[in-house]
Amino acid sequence: MEAIKKEYWKDKANKALGISPEDARITKSYLSVAFIAILVGGFLGLLQGMNRAGILELPVWANYYKVLTAHGLLLVVVLSAFFTIGYFYAGLSHSLGGLLPKVRKMAWIGFWMKIFGFVLAVIPILQGDASVMYTFYPPMAAAPMFYIGLVFIVLGVWMLAFGAFINVANWRKNHKGQHIPIISFFATGVFVLLFFGSLPVAIEVFYIIPWAFGWIDTINVMVSRTLFWAFGHTLVNIWYMTAISAWYVFVPKIIDGRRWSDMLTRIVVIALVIMNITGGFHHQIIDPGISESVKYMHVFMSLAIGFPSLMTAYAMFAVFEKTARKKGGRGLVGWYKKMPWGDVRFLAPFIAMVAFIPAGAGGIVQSTNQLNQVVHNSMWVVGHFHLTLGMTVVMTFFGVSYWLVPFVSGRVLTPAINKLGIIQTIVWTVGMVLMSGAMHWVGLLGSPRRTSYSTYFDNATALSWDPYLFFLAIGGTLLMIGVLLQVYAVFNMMFFAPKGETEFPVAEEEEDATPTPMWTERWGLWIVLMLTLVSMAYVIPLVDFIVNAPPGSPPFKTW
Amino acid sequence: MKGIYYVITLYIFLMLPPVANLMESVMIIHMHMQMTLFVIIGFLLAPVLQKKFPRFFEEWNPNGIPGILLFVIVMFYWTLPRSMDEALNLWYIELFKFISLPFLAGVPLRDSWKKVSASVKNGLIILFTLLFIAMGWLYIWSPNQLCNNYLLIDQITLGWGFLLTAVCMISYIAYSYITDLAENI
Repeated sequence: MEAIKKEYWKDKANKALGISPEDARITKSYLSVAFIAILVGGFLGLLQGMNRAGILELPVWANYYKVLTAHGLLLVVVLSAFFTIGYFYAGLSHSLGGLLPKVRKMAWIGFWMKIFGFVLAVIPILQGDASVMYTFYPPMAAAPMFYIGLVFIVLGVWMLAFGAFINVANWRKNHKGQHIPIISFFATGVFVLLFFGSLPVAIEVFYIIPWAFGWIDTINVMVSRTLFWAFGHTLVNIWYMTAISAWYVFVPKIIDGRRWSDMLTRIVVIALVIMNITGGFHHQIIDPGISESVKYMHVFMSLAIGFPSLMTAYAMFAVFEKTARKKGGRGLVGWYKKMPWGDVRFLAPFIAMVAFIPAGAGGIVQSTNQLNQVVHNSMWVVGHFHLTLGMTVVMTFFGVSYWLVPFVSGRVLTPAINKLGIIQTIVWTVGMVLMSGAMHWVGLLGSPRRTSYSTYFDNATALSWDPYLFFLAIGGTLLMIGVLLQVYAVFNMMFFAPKGETEFPVAEEEEDATPTPMWTERWGLWIVLMLTLVSMAYVIPLVDFIVNAPPGSPPFKTW
Repeated sequence: MKGIYYVITLYIFLMLPPVANLMESVMIIHMHMQMTLFVIIGFLLAPVLQKKFPRFFEEWNPNGIPGILLFVIVMFYWTLPRSMDEALNLWYIELFKFISLPFLAGVPLRDSWKKVSASVKNGLIILFTLLFIAMGWLYIWSPNQLCNNYLLIDQITLGWGFLLTAVCMISYIAYSYITDLAENI
């Protein structure tokens, strides 16, 4: 707590670097939508978890799959994207000396396009015409309006991506020979991935719309699935990159340390941008139509993405140990006592990092051919992405909110809210460990995902899942309490906390850091390399799917 | 110089029969991945050879042009459908592939790259872009099987691989044309 109090009064100079009210409004709007989404999406998640455990019977108008679709879309598409954009736009504004007026305009157009698209998508979900779940690939077909809504969401994302590119390009024009500030470097990487990652899904959706309307009779399912996963996997890594940007840039400052290696940080970003999209293939390991040898070679591509993560883990613990030892920490592991455990801005991202150890290991399990066969389409997968998205990413977002929301609102983090944050972090951790752990385990025992509760005519195996599902429901309930605490904290900090200055905590580099080479700034080259890799990876299966296409599938409504 | 052992390990790994067979089982991986990797191996081995035989490179490749020419000839040879067939059928052509790509393409490319002017470099990229478009056109729209060892679908895939790579190279040319790399970064 000492550290927080001290920070209120120090860095007065930071005032000059504060955010302009117009830019703050953009971030506040995006963050508000993100946290409203988690409130509604979290409540739906609770309903669904209770229902899945056989404890709660849903009313007829809200069946399991409808709730599942809304829960997925709200948390996967709305919460994560809105938070990412709000967060990075604040970073761009702070580090590049404010947003350009036209970029600000683009941010608002993008905002309303996304909201409009989302409303269009939600209407058919509520009507029960779009229970296709977040993974909206054929042969299941939703009402056309659902897909038209998605088109607007994608267009909104592109607007934001180009806004960011314009702002960064303008800064580079005026600051020749300088590195892009690190948070804007991360933002560039994330928006490059958002743009190129959403291209395949845009193609997929444009292909689905005439099929959903009935203008064409059949669709090539494998092509659609492949295009979806090229996007789906990239989206996952966009959240992850957003989370690690906070670890690299802000967490060192919060613990009074310095950034460990600017060059390593930038290389991690570049590596993630180049190698990411092709990771989509490990979501298709048991798909037909892709030969074994191609799948086998793609395992290398997927595991390659793990490498920058190992670099991140190394860098993070290097920062922690260095900082703690400077503060007098001793011993092989004794230095951990010197970390600011009472500061939610550190505690939440720290637990998020720790969660990524089992989460990343689980990811490696799933990208390995034989192990994937064991867990595919089981509750294990649901447990995995609740551990990665629900813990590693979202807890980092929560930790960030305790300084970002006061920063954009011109308010301060009070000790009371900090305490609330600590409680929230503990509740969330216990809830997610219980829920995700139960999901992993019950998945190994064979419980399927994307399936509502059933005892399968009281089959003994299915009945043996019940105790684990009960833990899932307990975890889900705790998480709902966590959601309520978090949303309260966010809106309290946005509208009711005492006024004051909060710093935008970008950590400095080490004093003796080696200068980062300028070639890290060749974004055009990284994009060309990424495109080459994507072309090479996708040309074999796509040509095969198209040239040797099966008859195609009519739309199915399975619910 | 420790890195050289990794390069040699990779070189041996790629020549191991199961690895080579796996990569050669798919036409596009054979041409676009295995062959490229051999060129890259030569590219990475070059500094050691340059250090060991400085006079040789000075004498035979003073301005970089002979090296570039050798690279172009070897690369053009390995884009011929027949050369791939022979590499699969005759062990000595396979051996020639393993030797020619690193040592007659990768090494001379590295040695020449710093010696030639920017216009030669751009000319080389443009030449390969045109070659890739032509090869893409040939492999996609040829009604006949050009390689005895590969099916028509493999050939079409390779053709699209060529065209997509050409598109990437065009993007790179456009990028380097509009961005002054020396000044802007």
